[in-house]
Amino acid sequence: MGDEPGAGISGGLTELLNLSMPANSESIDRITAAISDILARLEIAEQKRLEIGLAVQEALANAVVHGCNGDPSKTIRCRMNGDQQGRVVITVTDPGPGFAPKTLADPKQPENLYGDHGRGVYLIHQLMDEVQFERGGAEIKMWKY
Amino acid sequence: MDINVRKRSDVQLIQLRGPLRMGPAVDGLRQTMEEALGQGDHRIVINLAEVPMIDSSGIGLLVRFLASTKQRGGSIKLVQPSKFAIQTLKLVGVLNLFEIFEDDDTAAESFS
Repeated sequence: MGDEPGAGISGGLTELLNLSMPANSESIDRITAAISDILARLEIAEQKRLEIGLAVQEALANAVVHGCNGDPSKTIRCRMNGDQQGRVVITVTDPGPGFAPKTLADPKQPENLYGDHGRGVYLIHQLMDEVQFERGGAEIKMWKY
Repeated sequence: MDINVRKRSDVQLIQLRGPLRMGPAVDGLRQTMEEALGQGDHRIVINLAEVPMIDSSGIGLLVRFLASTKQRGGSIKLVQPSKFAIQTLKLVGVLNLFEIFEDDDTAAESFS
């Protein structure tokens, strides 16, 4: 793996999914179901499918709740590309102003353990191999090798 | 998500079926928990045997109500979380906040 994000995927990538949908929980369910189906067709191991599925769920939830303020008239976009070895990169984009990922609190600190939010981005980092925010935080790109 | 609630003496047994994630699943469980607490039921067992995944909003809900029930002298005990649910709870550092049991009866009896 190289220094640049995504260096773990070599060669050509095939577009596996490209969906734009209203910012609501039904869209999250439909997108995560579509990605789950694609990963199953690619015969990716169950544990890896679960980890990708939860990371995508978290990224889409952040896009709906924070990027779109839960407004279903706004649109979220999700793209997935992959290679022959089952390595994938998933991009979730929202129309919001973005955020500064480095300002997020550590959910494992004792004072945050009983909090009811603030774990999504942390989980994404734990579940995926590489994560990069672009467009000021309004776009997240996640790699799983 | 299917949410099935029954009561065994003073313990609420909540059986979930489906992913516990943002949307109707978390909203439904929140309503169920609020009703339980509203009725004075602070001893709660949640069976997760048929919950393949829990997202961060589901985790937030569980820990928030764990704190609420503990403040009232009760608790939330988990039954048969999946391997992936355990991994997820562990990743965010909250696994050790919960007592975990193999079946509903043992979990309910642990309150007495």
